[in-house]
Amino acid sequence: MSKTTVIGFLGSTLDASKRDASRWSKWRPTVGLCMQPDLRVDRLVLLHGAQHESLAQYIAEDIAAVSPETVFEPHAISFDDAWDFEEVYTELLDFAQDFDFEPESEDYLVHITTGTHVAQICLFLLTEARFIPGKLLQTQPKRGKPEPSGVWNAIDLDLSRYDSIARRFAEGSRTSTSFLKGGIETRNVRFNTMIDEIEQVASRSSAPLLLMGPTGAGKSLLARRIYELKVDRRRLSGPLVEVNCATLTGDSAMSALFGHRKGAFTGAIAERDGLLRRADGGLLFLDEIGELGLDEQAMILRAVEEGRFLPVGSDKEAWSSFQLIAGTNRDLVAAVGEGRFRDDLFARLNLWTFDLPGLADRVEDIEPNVDFELDRFASAEDTRVTFNREARERYLAFAASPATAWRGNFRDLSASITRMATLSPDGRIDRRTVDAEIGRLEKLWSGSSSRKSEDDLLLVLPAEEIGELDPFDRAQLAEVIATCRRCRTLSAAGRELFAASRLRRKSTNDADRLRKYLARFGLSWDDFG
Amino acid sequence: MVTIDGSEGEGGGQVLRNACALSLVTGEPFTIENIRGGRDQPGLMRQHLTAIEAACMIGGAECEGMELGSSRIIFRPGSVTGGDYSFAVGTAGSTALVLQTVLVPLALADKPSHLVIEGGTHASMAPPFDFIEKCFLPVFARMGPKVGMRIKRHGFFPRGGGRIEIDIEPAPLRRIECIDRGEPTGRSGSVLYASLDDTIAARFRKAALKSLPDWSNDAIVLRELPADQGPGIALILESGFENVTEIVSGFGKLGLSAERIGRTAGKRMAGYEASGAFAGPYLQDQLLLPMALAGGGAFTSVKISQHTRTAADIIALFTGRGTQFEDAGPKGQLVRIV
Repeated sequence: MSKTTVIGFLGSTLDASKRDASRWSKWRPTVGLCMQPDLRVDRLVLLHGAQHESLAQYIAEDIAAVSPETVFEPHAISFDDAWDFEEVYTELLDFAQDFDFEPESEDYLVHITTGTHVAQICLFLLTEARFIPGKLLQTQPKRGKPEPSGVWNAIDLDLSRYDSIARRFAEGSRTSTSFLKGGIETRNVRFNTMIDEIEQVASRSSAPLLLMGPTGAGKSLLARRIYELKVDRRRLSGPLVEVNCATLTGDSAMSALFGHRKGAFTGAIAERDGLLRRADGGLLFLDEIGELGLDEQAMILRAVEEGRFLPVGSDKEAWSSFQLIAGTNRDLVAAVGEGRFRDDLFARLNLWTFDLPGLADRVEDIEPNVDFELDRFASAEDTRVTFNREARERYLAFAASPATAWRGNFRDLSASITRMATLSPDGRIDRRTVDAEIGRLEKLWSGSSSRKSEDDLLLVLPAEEIGELDPFDRAQLAEVIATCRRCRTLSAAGRELFAASRLRRKSTNDADRLRKYLARFGLSWDDFG
Repeated sequence: MVTIDGSEGEGGGQVLRNACALSLVTGEPFTIENIRGGRDQPGLMRQHLTAIEAACMIGGAECEGMELGSSRIIFRPGSVTGGDYSFAVGTAGSTALVLQTVLVPLALADKPSHLVIEGGTHASMAPPFDFIEKCFLPVFARMGPKVGMRIKRHGFFPRGGGRIEIDIEPAPLRRIECIDRGEPTGRSGSVLYASLDDTIAARFRKAALKSLPDWSNDAIVLRELPADQGPGIALILESGFENVTEIVSGFGKLGLSAERIGRTAGKRMAGYEASGAFAGPYLQDQLLLPMALAGGGAFTSVKISQHTRTAADIIALFTGRGTQFEDAGPKGQLVRIV
């Protein structure tokens, strides 16, 4: 059984009494807490001022009578002014740091009923900050009748132990995660887990956050929402300063971030504060941080660690206390390996790293996002637009198809819905609107090389047909189409495509094999003209 | 391993104390679940811990679940060793209850013991020192063991701080029968008080005598104790017979009038005297355990209490001995342990 140690102040008023039998009809908190049938104080560390030595000794005898199990340890502690917060806190912190706590074998109760209010506040703070690893102990007289023992209760400051409080926190946390998701009922497990973590980190920590993810995955939006959440939780009061590091190039980058003195360089006609200074007390969101030059990275690191930096042309340091969120769509680890990104800055940022999945990895979330975008359009344009059923199914099937690139992720989806909503006749998005939009998106994505083979397919097949193909066929067909487009004749393409197997055949008709293959997809050589 | 449901029967600390004593004597380990299950604040309280710790100390026993509020303990006895022991009970918890836990095991131990127990000696919810000394021990002595007991200092609620000393000369327990209490030999009483006005003590006496019309007015004396043992007040009524002495007590309590305490004690004594029984209600449940360990016995008593029935159940679990209750006509109930 672990021992119980109570730490508390001698109450110079409450614990005092007439020194006769009448004291046993008076509630004296320190004596009373040793009289509880359901609390055994094995050790009582009683803090008292030197001037109350005699009172401490007097109640020690009464405690010995009512609680022979208790080892009494008076501890003289002297304040010049027991109402001076700084002095009392410092003394008590010293006491706590010198105290040999053994939480494995002893339970600690911090009695806060006695002592000046300042002393009580300090004990509370030390317990809350775990300098004293215990629970608070509160005692009070029994109601109605003169009675010496009173009642006690222990307060565990670990709020998660209280069901109703935990429920409220969970609710608050649900509200804030929902807020972080912009009110969208997202279903993707990975994304939801990540948002839960971000909610906890944002509510409890001021440490930098690193948001990774492809373009359009929602990094900026999330950074903005984290900022609002922090403001709401009173973890921040300053402004949100957002900057895309890709736009900070060359000489002006330093000045834009850290400011400059008047006359620091040609054109520096006035002093400029810089973005870091502006973010003082607030949140700085550095998007595309991988694009930042090495010099700027070094300066940012120092600013993050020490809150200090040197404006361009200045020999006097400026300071700013800001919280940092960095965004990147680059693999920063690779950039560190290649020496393009400082490893020390990466280490600093890498404490809380969140990888935002792109839309293709969150197909479950497409539908809620489509509805969200329609709602947003409705409130922005004052017009409610809806899909008809067929159009909705068609669009969702296209959107969820693995063949659909979603190169710009949620940014593309948002733009796509806005276009359809704007172009829809009579506020109804129909099949034709959807088909036209799919065409637009495919054209939009066809410019890029990463999905080149798919783009080749688009040249000869309508998008909806591609959507119905197995990925297996798509890859094969794409290679065939690319070869056909390169070759001047059907036979040449056939020779190239069947180059290996034709060597083993007695008779060869590569052109015919290719023609039959193309026919399976409704294609003929003429389609490549 | 004996398993006990602590919420059954009387369901209090008595179950725990009897189980510890029986376990130490029989060598049978036990588990008790739902400790004090029926009470407002269930589980082990401080005074129960003290009693179990005392049992562990004299009996080389081990006990799991020894925590305040614990609802389950597992007790594994070792061997009981006589010797010098001292125990201290907090919050005026009763010295008698600790003694009740260790007395019989030590009376059957290998060598004599000397105990010092500090705590309450005259507090409610437990028999006072005078009861143990004058009522219980003489009967117990007839079974074999010689036990001497002295009070060094009185301990009242809420302060406690009393001190009693006990010498135990072990002997095997003999089977006895206590059917007739014999002819009256004398009546006396005292009001013990400290740090209180003697008018309060006088009110205790007056109220008690009002309920005892046969008693002479000078049967009860007022006895003031040194002020540093107070505050506290207790009424002790003693009615002697050839074969037994009954002790009834009442304790001062804030919020209870002196008249009420005196009247209740007086009525209880009058009730005992009017019966023809050997044992009063407190001796009744205390005799079961030594008699069962003596291999049986019988006594007459007043109305059977829930405490006694619960004690009989626990005893049966450890010893296999049953307790029979029969009507004994003018002698009240006949309690027979077989």
